[in-house]
Amino acid sequence: MGQPKVSVDLILSKLAEDAERTQAKAQRASDILFEPLDTDIATTPYDIVYEEDRVKLKIYSSTTDIKIQTPLLVVYALINRETMLDLQPGRSVVQSFLNHGIDLYMVDWGYPTRKDMFLTIDDHVNGYMNNMVDFILAKQKLDKINLMGICMGGTFSVIYAALYPKKIKNLITTVTPTHFDTDKGLLHTWMKYIDADQMVGTYGNIPGDIMNFGFLLLNPARLMIDKYVGFIENMDNKKFVENFIRMEKWIFDSPDVPGETFRQFIKDCYQDNLLIQSKMRVGGKRVNLKNITMPLLNYYGRYDHLVPPEACELLTSKVGSKDVEDVCLDSGHIGIYVSSKCQKEFAPRIAGWLKARDKAKKKTRTKQSSAKKTRRKTGVKAKHTRGTK
Amino acid sequence: MTDRPQDKTGSEFILSEWLKTTTEFWKPWFSMWGGISEKTDETAAKKDKHRTRVEESLETTRKAWESMSSMMVEPETIESLFKGSSGLPVILMNLAQTSWTGFMHLQQKWLENVGRVGESTGSYTFENLDEDSLKVWNELYEKEFRKYLNIPQLGLTRLYQENMLQVTDAYNLLQANVAEFFHLLYLPIEKSLKSMQVQMTELTDEGELPEDPKTYYQMWIKALEGQYMTLFQSEEYGQHLRKTLASVSAFSKAKKAVLQDVLNMLPVPTQKEMDELYKEIYLLKKKIRALEKNT
Repeated sequence: MGQPKVSVDLILSKLAEDAERTQAKAQRASDILFEPLDTDIATTPYDIVYEEDRVKLKIYSSTTDIKIQTPLLVVYALINRETMLDLQPGRSVVQSFLNHGIDLYMVDWGYPTRKDMFLTIDDHVNGYMNNMVDFILAKQKLDKINLMGICMGGTFSVIYAALYPKKIKNLITTVTPTHFDTDKGLLHTWMKYIDADQMVGTYGNIPGDIMNFGFLLLNPARLMIDKYVGFIENMDNKKFVENFIRMEKWIFDSPDVPGETFRQFIKDCYQDNLLIQSKMRVGGKRVNLKNITMPLLNYYGRYDHLVPPEACELLTSKVGSKDVEDVCLDSGHIGIYVSSKCQKEFAPRIAGWLKARDKAKKKTRTKQSSAKKTRRKTGVKAKHTRGTK
Repeated sequence: MTDRPQDKTGSEFILSEWLKTTTEFWKPWFSMWGGISEKTDETAAKKDKHRTRVEESLETTRKAWESMSSMMVEPETIESLFKGSSGLPVILMNLAQTSWTGFMHLQQKWLENVGRVGESTGSYTFENLDEDSLKVWNELYEKEFRKYLNIPQLGLTRLYQENMLQVTDAYNLLQANVAEFFHLLYLPIEKSLKSMQVQMTELTDEGELPEDPKTYYQMWIKALEGQYMTLFQSEEYGQHLRKTLASVSAFSKAKKAVLQDVLNMLPVPTQKEMDELYKEIYLLKKKIRALEKNT
C-alpha cells in the first residue's frame, strides 16, 4: 500500500490541536473581556480656547523646553473625529508633536445637527477656520501660523492656504485628496455615481453611519470579515483587545456631514475635479493654487485605498511654492497616523521639517524667492530622496 | 278605463289584495303607537306641540303608505304598471349588458397585464433562478404592478391617499433594489467558494493540500477580496449602487411626506417648518457676522 496523496490524518490532527487551542484561548479571552479594560482614547490633556457654534479649538501645550516658535494648527476631516491623532499612549501623533516642541492647536468640528445642514465649504473655511486662525494669531501675537490638514481637512487647508497665503507660514497636507479625476481609488469611482443633490435632499446632513457603511464596503473581505477573525485569534491578548476596541471606538464615532458641504465637495471635487485646476470657487473667490507660495510638505500612503497616491501627488506640481516635498509612506490611510512603524517616521519628520523652516525664517526668505523650485519626492521605505525635480 | 271583469287569479288582483291587506295590517299598529303616546302624555292638550320626532315620522310614513296603497289599488294604476312591466326584461337586459361589457373590459385589461407579465420575464430565463429571479421580480413590479399604486386618487382625501400609496410603492421598490444589491454583494462569496473548490481539487490532485486550516482561510479571504475588487470596479456595481441609493432616498422622502401629514394634525412643528427656521437662523447669523466684521 503506497503513501496517500493527501495526508488527511495530519490535517485532522492539526484541526484537533486547533480546537484545543481555541478552547483554551476562549477561556482566557472571557477572563480578559470580563475584567476592566483601558480603552479610553484621546487622553492627552488639552484646553478649549475658542468655541463657535458646534466647533471648538483645542490647545495642547508642548512638554519640552526646546520649542518651535510657530504653533501648528491641525485641521481634521469632517468625516470621523480628530481623536484618531491621539488614539492611545505610545501611538499618539499629538504626544509625538508635543515631545518635539510643537505647540499644537487642533480643530474639533463637533457633531453637526440638522441646523448645520446649510453650512457650506465657505462657512467652514472662510468662517470657522479663518476665525480660529485669527484667534491664534492674536493670542500668540504672530503674523503666520503653521497649518496641517488631514484628508478632507487637508483639502480645506489647501483651499485656506490659497485664499489666505499671508497667514500661513508652512503647509502640511497628509492623505489629502486634491486631484479627484482618477480611477485608482474605489471611492473616486463610486463618487461618480453618487447623486449628491438627491442625498442631501433626502437626509439633510449625510449620516455618519451611511458613510461608514460605504467605507466598509470598500473592502468587505478585510474590514467586515478578516478584521474580526483577527480579533478572535488574538482575543486572549489584553493589549491587543484594548487597542482593537480603541480603534473600533474611533472608527464608528462618525459625526454626520453637513449637507451643503457634502454637496459641494462631491460635485466640485469628486465629480468636476475643480480644485486641482484652480477653478473651484469658495465664498465667491477662485481658489488659485498658485497662491500657495509657502513651503509645502505633502504626505500620503502607498496603500491608501481611500485616497490613493494618484489623488495626492499632483498637488506639489500645481502650487506656486518653490519649496515642496512629497513623502509616500508604505502605509494605508490610517496607518500613517497609528501604525507603530509610522509613529517613528511621521510626526518626528514633520517636526524636523517645521523646525528647519522655523529657524530659517529670516535667513532664507529672499534666497528662497529667487531659488529654483525644488520638488522632492521621498519614499520612506527607501529612506532616501528618490528624485529631485 | 276599460270595463273588464276582474280576473281573480291575475297578477293585478294579487297586487291589489296584497296592498289592501298590508295597509289593514299596519293601521292598528300605527294607532296603537299613537295611543300609547297619548296615554303617556299628561299634557294631552299640548301634544301637537310636543310630539316627538319619532311620532311625527311614523305618522308621515303611515299617511304616505296609505295614500300610495289607495292609489295603487285602483285598477287603472295596476293595469298601466303591468303594461309597462312588459318592457322590464329589456331594461334589465340593457343594464346587465352594460355592466357585463364593463366587467369584461376590465377583465380583458387584467388578462393583458398578466400576459405581459410573461413578456417581461422573457428577457430572463428562470433556468438561472438564483441570479435572475430578483431582476425578474424588479422588472415585473416596475412594469406591471406599480401602475396600480399610481392610479390617480379622488376626493377630499386624495392627497393623503396618494402619499400612502407612494410610500407603499417606494417601500416595494426599496425592498426589491436592496435585495438585488445585497444579492450582488453575495455573489463574490459564492464565486470565491467556487474558486476555492477548484484550487482544492488541484491541490488534492497534486497531493499538496496544506495541513494548517488557517491556510485555507487565507486562500479564501484572498480570493474573496479579489472577487470584491472586480465587482466594485464594474459598471454594473456602480449602476446598482446608484439605483439602490436612489430607492433609499425615494422611500425616505415618501415616508417623510406621510409623517408630515400626520404631524400637520398634531400641535408640533414639522421637519419642513424646522428646516425653514434653521435656514433663516443660518442666514441671519451670516448677516450678523458680516456686520460685526465691518464695524
